[in-house]
This record gives sequence, C-alpha cells and structure tokens, in this order.
Amino acid sequence: MIRMNRFSRYNLIAVTLLVIIGFIWIYPFLWVMFASLKTSSEMFSAGATLLPENWDLSNFVRAWDKANFSTYFFNTVLYAAAATVIELFKSSMCGYVLGRYRFPGRNLLLGLVTATLFIPIASIILPQFKLVQALGLLNTRAGVILALSGGSGALYVLLFTGFFQTLPDELFESARIDGATFWQTFRLMLPLAKPIIATVVIFQFMSTWNEFNIPLVFTLGRPELRNMAVGMYAFRGEFSVDWTGFAAGTTISIIPVLLVFFVFQGYFVRGLAGAVKQ
Amino acid sequence: MASVSYKHVQKNYGDVTVVKDLSMEIADKEFVVFVGPSGCGKSTCLRMLAGLEEISGGEIWIGDRKVNDVPPKDRDIAMVFQSYALYPHMTVYDNMAFGLKLRKTPKAEIDTRVKEAGEILGLTQYLDRKPKALSGGQRQRVAVGRAIVREPAVFLMDEPLSNLDAKLRVTARAEISKLHQRLQTTFVYVTHDQVEAMTMGDRIAVLNSGDLMQIDSPRNLYEHPDNVFVAGFIGSPSMNFFDATLVGEEGKLFVDTGSFRVNVPSERNKAYEGHIGKQVVFGMRPEHIHASNFAPPNIDASPLEGQIDVIELLGHELHLYISSGKSSYVATVDTRLAPTVGNKVGLVMDVSNMHLFDKDTEQAIR
Repeated sequence: MIRMNRFSRYNLIAVTLLVIIGFIWIYPFLWVMFASLKTSSEMFSAGATLLPENWDLSNFVRAWDKANFSTYFFNTVLYAAAATVIELFKSSMCGYVLGRYRFPGRNLLLGLVTATLFIPIASIILPQFKLVQALGLLNTRAGVILALSGGSGALYVLLFTGFFQTLPDELFESARIDGATFWQTFRLMLPLAKPIIATVVIFQFMSTWNEFNIPLVFTLGRPELRNMAVGMYAFRGEFSVDWTGFAAGTTISIIPVLLVFFVFQGYFVRGLAGAVKQ
Repeated sequence: MASVSYKHVQKNYGDVTVVKDLSMEIADKEFVVFVGPSGCGKSTCLRMLAGLEEISGGEIWIGDRKVNDVPPKDRDIAMVFQSYALYPHMTVYDNMAFGLKLRKTPKAEIDTRVKEAGEILGLTQYLDRKPKALSGGQRQRVAVGRAIVREPAVFLMDEPLSNLDAKLRVTARAEISKLHQRLQTTFVYVTHDQVEAMTMGDRIAVLNSGDLMQIDSPRNLYEHPDNVFVAGFIGSPSMNFFDATLVGEEGKLFVDTGSFRVNVPSERNKAYEGHIGKQVVFGMRPEHIHASNFAPPNIDASPLEGQIDVIELLGHELHLYISSGKSSYVATVDTRLAPTVGNKVGLVMDVSNMHLFDKDTEQAIR
C-alpha cells in the first residue's frame, strides 16, 4: 500500500508537470486561434492574454469571402485528398512488392528508394515543373496534384515494405492455395496494414495541406488555383498586414488537419510504435 | 479423393539436399503421417505436394495427374497450416468462404458448405466472429473448416496441433481422426510428435535428414523397426541401445554388452547366425524391461541387476533410469514397485521383444 501511495503521488506530480509543459507548448497555437476572434486593435493591446474581450467573427467572414479562402479551402482539400489517395495507392503497392517478392535488383531498388529520402524536395521542383509543363498540365489542378504526389513517397514505401515483411509467409501461402491472384492477395493483405495506412494518410495529408512551394510555383498564372498556405499571403498588404485575418485563415486551415489526426491517431501511434505485428 | 505418388522426388536448396530420392505411394482415402525430427524434410515433402515448393527432381502425382508444374490452386488440395494462417480481418464465415468465392462458387452453395462445416466442427455460433475473438482450439478448427469446405481430393496438414496445449491436442487428435473417417478422403499429415503419428496414421513415413527411413503401419514400426533410427524415434521413452557382441556357445546365442549378457530366443538363431562374433547394436524397449517381482508370467525372461539413478512416476507408469556396469538404460516398471534412488533393483528383460541391428549399417538383423 505504501509503495502504491508513493507511486500515485509521483504520478500526480508528473501529470501536473506534463499538463503545465503541454499548456506552455500549445499556448502560441491557442493564442493564434483566439486572436482570430479578436479585433485588430485588441490583438495588439492584449499582449499575451488569451481570451478576447469581445468575440468577433468578422475576421472569418473577411478571410472566407474577401481573401478568397472559400476557393482556397476547396483547392486545399482537393489537393490533400487526391495526393493522399495517389500516394497511398503508389506506396502500398510498391512496398508490397518490395516486401514480399525477391527479384534481381530488389536491394538496389530499395537502396535507391531510401536514397531519395535525402534529396531535398525543393531541389526537384524544377524537373517536376518541366515534367508537368511537358504534360500540358501547368496551371491546372491536375498538375498540382501530380506534383504533390511525387515527392515524399520513399518513407511510406519503406514503412509498407517493413510491414509486409513482418506478415507470416503462411498467410500468403494460404491465399495461394485458395487461388488468389497477385491482385487479390494484395487486396487481402492491405487491410492488415491499417496502422501504416493511417500513418501515411496523416503524414501525406498534413504535408500536402501545408505545402507552399508547389501550389505557388505551379499556379503562378492562375491564382484561383492556390491552396490556403499560399493564399495566406493575401493578408499581406504593401504597407500593412491583416494579422487577425491571417489568424482566422490559419485557424480555418488548421482545423481539418486536426480532425484528420484525431480520427487516425490511434492507428498512427501504433504504426509509429512498431506495434504492427498482428 | 485421390491417391498420391512421390516418384524419386528430390529437393535441393543450393548445394544442400533436403529430400533425397523419395519414392512412396499413398493410397486413396489413406491417412499417412510424415514424422521425423526438425529439419528432416517432412514439411518440405508436404509443401512440394501442395505446390508451395518447387521440386528439384522426380515427379509428384495426385490421382492420375502429374502435378509438378500445376499451381497449388489447381491441385485439388487444401492445407491446414501450423499457425492456421487465418485472415485476421475476416470473420470465421468469410475465412471459410474465401477460397470458394475466388472459385466463383454460387453463393447459396458457399453458404451450405460453410454452415455444414461449421456444424461438423462445432463452430456454428462463432461464424460471425473474427479469429482474434476465438481460442486456440477454435482457430485450429476454423483452419480445418476452411479446408473442409473446399472438398479437396487430398487434405494436407502441417503440424496443425502443435500450437495447442497438451490436453486440447489429445481431443483435437481424435477429432481429426474422426473427420478422416467421416470425409473418406486422403490425408497427408506432418508432425514431429510420434504420439500424433502413432495414433492417427494408417501408415507412418519416418524421415531423417531427407531420407525415408521406413514407411509402415504404426504397429509394424513399433514392433519391427527397420533400423536404429526408427527404433529410437518411435516409442516413449525411447528404445534402449547397447553396443554388444553376438556370442555363440554350445548351440546357443547370447548378446554380450560387457555389462550383462542376454540369451537370444532360439527361434531367432537362424536369423542371427551370420553375425556371430560381430559387433551389433542390441535394442530393448523400456516397457519390455520389468521389475523381477512384478514381471508378467510366461515371458522369455533374462535377468539382470542395476542401480537406480532417477525415478519418474507418471501415475500409470514408473520409469527407472538404471545403470548396470558401463551401461545405462531406462525401464518402465510396475507402479507397485517402491524404488529408492541409489538402491539395487532386480530386473528381467523380455527377450522375445529384443531387437538386433548391424553395428555398421544400423539396419535390423532379421
């Protein structure tokens, strides 16, 4: 009993400390969210105070209508969703083959895939631009989606490769005896990779959601195709910045990502913790 | 229903040969068990039959069809794996129905077959559950059910009971035997457990290092092992072996181990004559060595004495680990005996059950 008490007291201190640290950690984030509900003058006068004196929704109205966030929001959702689906499809199939099949050059291929992890995404934007241009997709949503789906697949491929390697051989042999084709076996095994799928969805969705370079460069000729990260620039005037509008834009852009994270977080944590063995 | 033939089948992994020139016939509706120690090639034999491993040489026939190049799904077989290999995200019903769905079996027929198999195996109330929600024994039955619904010509089972606890294994063993009688189909079963092999198989194929040591009925394997390996592998505790010399004196034969001497039953003289004066391996099963006080009447008894090193009482059996001179051996004696470690004990060997093997070839002398 004495031991337990000591432990629960220890836990209480630890939890309190963690809550305080956690609060400090997310304070700037909360500050931005509440700043989106303040008037411009209050935001500057209130300093670090969190809650607004007068709750003001006009920042959101301004961001949504005037700063074109209604269009940007649609674009962002489309880009993030499409790039996530494409990336998931691509990396799961690639990881499945690399994880389950032995073929000449497999290790070399795996090495090359791994090597791409060390290439800065920004450095390939020019060839990507040329490619999309050659396909006649510059200044189109399809072009942006294509460019967004090309970059960061290596990590996902490696995650899927690792996962499919851990699945017992007997599962695949059983499918073979059952008469499953390559494609049917893949479809049979993919649901087992839920933790990895969740990880890929969260990572890819978030990175595409927040992507700045590609939506900027690939839509220079048609600003209405921009996403929210690029659209945020609209709040910067020549001589002043609409900070509360900016905060509202930030809030609008953050909430869907948070939702995605909360939906998938259980799997996500499991995927990263390596608890992928069934 | 189909017969199975292995014709000079060989399997190599690089330079290593794991199955050497295997030839055997499995009759239609027969229950054949491959048994042997780890790495003896028994699973490989089954996997070659399933089509999961390519054959390096020879031919495998199922019925009147050579299946060397036939993919597993077209071999008309079903396999139960050691780990059951159930699809974790599917219900019991879907697990059983999966193979049939791929074969485009009509839905109504799938339903009938799955429910029938569920009934045979007592799984009816679990059909909607996922494998995770089942016990080990139930999962094992689902794996069997998945094979049953396919109505294959040959059932293949690769150590299907080794993940079960000892008690459940005994019941599952009987269930599989019953299933064989009910389905009247060819069963090929792999195990390292000689008790499973002895209790289930019509015939047992004993393998060692890729060689087929003997294939015969359980009784014949036990009573007439062809070689030292089979003699030692079948039976628990294992047969006792003694290096000995066969001695002939005044028309009588004796086995002399150096520690003790055993007279050979006269009816075996003719078979053993050729080995007089030669080195042999003398084999005697523990259950054929009795405590002299409790020896059954009318046995061909040859007395000996030894010191008790270890006592193991299993309830219905009493194992004594004995040393006599340079030899040590095990005896399964009457449980009424009250032995003490370190004491001397009088024993008799029932020499009518003795085995003699050639020292060099390790083959039985008959």
